[in-house]
Amino acid sequence: MLELRSLTKVFGRTVAVNDLSTACKECELLVIFGPAGAGKTTTLRLIAGILKPTSGEVYFNGQPLKDIPPEGRNMSMAFENYVLYSHLSVYGNLAFPLRARRYPDEEIQRLVQRMAGILQISEMLDRRPGFLSGGQRQRVALGRALIREADVYLLDEPISHLDAKLRHHMRGELKAICAEKEATVIHVTTDYREAMALADRVVVLNKGRLMQLGTPGDIFQRPANDFVAGFVGDPPMSFMEVEYVEEDGQPVFRIAESEIRLPATPRVRAHIKEKGLPDAFRLGARAADVTVSPSADENHNVPGEVYVTEMLGHRSLLTARLGENLVQVVTPPEETFEVRDTVWLDLSQDNLHVFADGLAIAHPQPKGN
Amino acid sequence: MASVTLEKLWKKYGKVDAVCGISLEIADGEFVSFLGPSGCGKSSTLRMIAGLEEITSGNIYFDGELINKVRPRDRNVAMAFETYALYPTLNVYENVAFPLRAARRSDAEVDKRVREIAGILEITDLLDRMPAHLSGGQQQLVGVARALAREPRVFLLDEPISHLDTRQRARMRAYLKRLHIELGYTMIYVTHDQEEAMAMADRVAVMDQGLIPQVGTPEEIFDNPADTFVAGFVGEPPMNFLECEYRQEAKRYLLDHNGITIEMPPHSEALAQRGAIPQRVTLGIRPFYIDIGLEKSAIHTIPAEVFVVEPLGDMTVVSAKMLETRLQIVTAPEFRAQSKQPLWLAFDPDHTLLFDAETGHALTTQTRQEPAAGGSKAS
Repeated sequence: MLELRSLTKVFGRTVAVNDLSTACKECELLVIFGPAGAGKTTTLRLIAGILKPTSGEVYFNGQPLKDIPPEGRNMSMAFENYVLYSHLSVYGNLAFPLRARRYPDEEIQRLVQRMAGILQISEMLDRRPGFLSGGQRQRVALGRALIREADVYLLDEPISHLDAKLRHHMRGELKAICAEKEATVIHVTTDYREAMALADRVVVLNKGRLMQLGTPGDIFQRPANDFVAGFVGDPPMSFMEVEYVEEDGQPVFRIAESEIRLPATPRVRAHIKEKGLPDAFRLGARAADVTVSPSADENHNVPGEVYVTEMLGHRSLLTARLGENLVQVVTPPEETFEVRDTVWLDLSQDNLHVFADGLAIAHPQPKGN
Repeated sequence: MASVTLEKLWKKYGKVDAVCGISLEIADGEFVSFLGPSGCGKSSTLRMIAGLEEITSGNIYFDGELINKVRPRDRNVAMAFETYALYPTLNVYENVAFPLRAARRSDAEVDKRVREIAGILEITDLLDRMPAHLSGGQQQLVGVARALAREPRVFLLDEPISHLDTRQRARMRAYLKRLHIELGYTMIYVTHDQEEAMAMADRVAVMDQGLIPQVGTPEEIFDNPADTFVAGFVGEPPMNFLECEYRQEAKRYLLDHNGITIEMPPHSEALAQRGAIPQRVTLGIRPFYIDIGLEKSAIHTIPAEVFVVEPLGDMTVVSAKMLETRLQIVTAPEFRAQSKQPLWLAFDPDHTLLFDAETGHALTTQTRQEPAAGGSKAS
């Protein structure tokens, strides 16, 4: 087991990694996910030992790695812009980590051929890296990292330079290789789909801080805060700024710049009773959780104006305007709505995430479909 | 506003053909997207329309008027790029006003136009701010506002939102689409992002190697791709392709994929009866239109096994192996399965497409379900 305990790294005035504690279990595929500048790569380099922490430490199987240099940690790395050996062919690059560990030639040949087959670079084995495209070089770097046995594999955006189709394919291959090797893997990405698709658990980072650690299901269905909620998912979660007020003795959320009122649920009232009234409330709606109807009914009782509709092939996306807020809703492709028409949304809190000062206090009820 | 006509437009850079004699009519007020991978010729086409690139041969007309020799600044096209250089010493108001002042419009006219554009783009609150105090997304909006201020005849956009994050991109996509509805400009939008092209455009011109294999509405492109290139490029996750042999067995028309028999979709039986199906066929099916069964049944007849399962939150993508062929299947978000677990698949016959394996051209077409009149409750 790999553990980070209060890991902090400061560059000048920038706190790149800020008091990060997390752990990667044996045979786990842990994905570190976040936007540019989140501290993902720095974290990976601290684990590898290429950077020294300002404070805090990395532990492997309970032992601090403080005094162990990178080459003494049995970790295998593929970095986004990993430099290949330019004087060696693709074959030589893939074989390098095996030769260094004195694998027999026959074994090397077998392993290289197999890895090249999986990564679809078999035809390029004789070529030098200088004659490869960015995506091809990236696959060689990934192959070189995965070809040998290691305690931990550290992969920094290893498939980011591939075109969409190949990235999709390699995502599956990578997941299969890691499962087959029963490898312990820490994988860094900025692509939430890649994070969700690969991970046993996801570490979400922002500005060096841990935003959430959870399974893909956790971060999608039960985001801990509005950062995770807004950053995971496509179409992105729609947010509505609301004000908590009591009208005629009834606690309601008033949607900013509109006449729209949504009754506050017992959950919300309990939170206020316990923690006091927060400075700001925000409601979050995933496009697939909310439904829309051309006419009002019991559930569809919040009016909005159709801002635009977008055809996305197997489904359509309707953007409705509620006061100052835009709310996106998935609709079946055969339903048509006209821009500027009034539509009615089902915004019952069973369909919404509620955030108090950025922290989630309620999530939608799981739907049994 | 103007219509735009491209006539046998050709662009060579040295010996390389970037654009190979494409022709396209873009109606006044239409939103057309050029979609294709890098190097397909889409940006070269846009730059020729703008006048930033010499035309090797062929013609471009605005409202029927030949503009090949008209200087870029006299074409009255507005162009928005990926990166917007705003004037850092001018506030947002003056940035938007700049092209109007350059055209010596009166102050009253400038003010009316700036406020009108700002209102549409919802940047009225930002008019007093300096560019340095704007977010990336706001700067892009101001860039778009400035490009629009002069009431161009044609509005050209070259990947204007590709560097924004998912959230800002979704927002800008909606803004730009609504902007088009409000202003009715002729808009030409270049992108490599198929979802962007499909979401915004009235028609999509798919480009590949300097040619346009298909132009059509987003529905046409998605439902009836003209060839395997268009079929594979549009849609996410991408369409699955299976190489099949076509054969006839006692009045049944069958497709055979390495020994696995797949029923011919009913909509192509007429073709089969006419003998119009070649021996080698590529079957195309989108990941959304494959159903997973855990046991063999009357409809779940195609054997496969789980390769990996990818939970994406709002859906789960299953990569399955059908002998050596990999298929991607979109299924319910809560679906989970172990690697190598056997599956029985059903291809939705209404959404099974056939292509000539030799040429890649589509053999069949499917029809989209008619919109329900008035719409019913969405689910």
